Amino acid sequence: MKIDSGDTAWVLASAALVMLMTPALGFFYGGLVRRKNVLSTIMHSFFILCLISVQWVLWGYSLAFGPDKFHLIGGLEWVGLNNVGFTPNPDYAPTIPHQAFMVFQMMFAVITPALISGAFAERQRFKAFVLFSLLWATFVYDPIAHWVWGAGGWLHQLGALDFAGGTVVHISSGVSALVAALVLGRRIGFGKQKAEPHDATMTVLGAALLWFGWFGFNAGSALGAGALATSAFVVTNTATAMAALTWMTVSWWHKKQPSVIGAAAGAVAGLVAITPASGFVNVMGAIVIGFGAGVVCYLAIQLRERIHVDDALDVWAVHGIGGTWGALATGLFATVAINSAAANGFFYGNPKQVLIQLVAIGAAWGWSIAGTFVILKVVNLFVPLRVHEDEEILGLDLSQHGEPAYASINAN
Amino acid sequence: MDATTVIAVICSVVVFAGWLVLPHSATTVQPVAVSEERKPVAISA
Repeated sequence: MKIDSGDTAWVLASAALVMLMTPALGFFYGGLVRRKNVLSTIMHSFFILCLISVQWVLWGYSLAFGPDKFHLIGGLEWVGLNNVGFTPNPDYAPTIPHQAFMVFQMMFAVITPALISGAFAERQRFKAFVLFSLLWATFVYDPIAHWVWGAGGWLHQLGALDFAGGTVVHISSGVSALVAALVLGRRIGFGKQKAEPHDATMTVLGAALLWFGWFGFNAGSALGAGALATSAFVVTNTATAMAALTWMTVSWWHKKQPSVIGAAAGAVAGLVAITPASGFVNVMGAIVIGFGAGVVCYLAIQLRERIHVDDALDVWAVHGIGGTWGALATGLFATVAINSAAANGFFYGNPKQVLIQLVAIGAAWGWSIAGTFVILKVVNLFVPLRVHEDEEILGLDLSQHGEPAYASINAN
Repeated sequence: MDATTVIAVICSVVVFAGWLVLPHSATTVQPVAVSEERKPVAISA
């Protein structure tokens, strides 16, 4: 197998783009929390970048992509990157070094548990967060990644379509976020005091950087520098813009003003929803997916508020529901005119694809709910999940890290 | 024109046309009361 220098350059550049998304997520989340918790929120993303980078080369990559065991999990043959060298692996990417594919996938594994951190922001003990993230990446993310993307994975064999991680990344993290929010309980004062975003500019900057990095996430998932990557790039931008416009319009109608944070959140919802479809749909499909993301995710937030669940930064509504809509929409709008190696969706004469997508969605929801619940209960046996009440009131920046984000300002 | 294109056009029309009927401004802007004049800052040379 011959290594293609153009493909390799694009995948390595994409890995760097996806890496940027995790600190960008820290800024997106950091702006949404109160002043006393911004540093701890950014630390969640920064720390996970370090933690999963090591976990992935030690055993994560082997579990997710290693030689198949029972269609459920990868074997341990590739632990420590043993047998993962510079010769291309034809099962995954025949024109780039195997390690280029590995490091690209590493960045997906990094950002997924970081997404969950928005659900338990402002109240989780850092030590519990460390243990949870390591266990969750190993027992929830790695198996689901193998089912969908691993050679021999059961959802892969079933024909489930997930180009860049709608099921693997967004449903898994979004649904787990809901479980985490329910298990940890509400923040002190939830529903009584308004926890206003302390810096909306930081949030918009984070969203813009996420948008930028997402071109690597989706177009990089073509694993080559060609027409498919170009198509994924175009539909990603289109769906994102349409979702931002739609969310802003819906919130304008509902709250009587066009929200800036709403536009940023809408863009992220669009990015989430187009992720599984980005290598399978055309630009008209992207517009519908973006529109749907803007409406469905906004409604999910209204539902979450109505049932008083303290998913602090709406990870479930944006990633769980946005990812579910995107996975379903892939089954509706996929067309082999974009990707001849895939399948048509409902609107192109293949209604069966919708059923396959629903199976994948159900499997990801089920495993994420069960796995996250068990992991949180196990961690709680050794380390309390929440900080003490007085630590929560003081803020996690000082109580967990001993550092204020803004040294000259003492207010909340 | 296929079904996907028809749906996409309808979605776009809904959003774009929606702006025509949305409120211009939600609240009447209240002038911000200034509690006191800023005092000049003494700068020592």
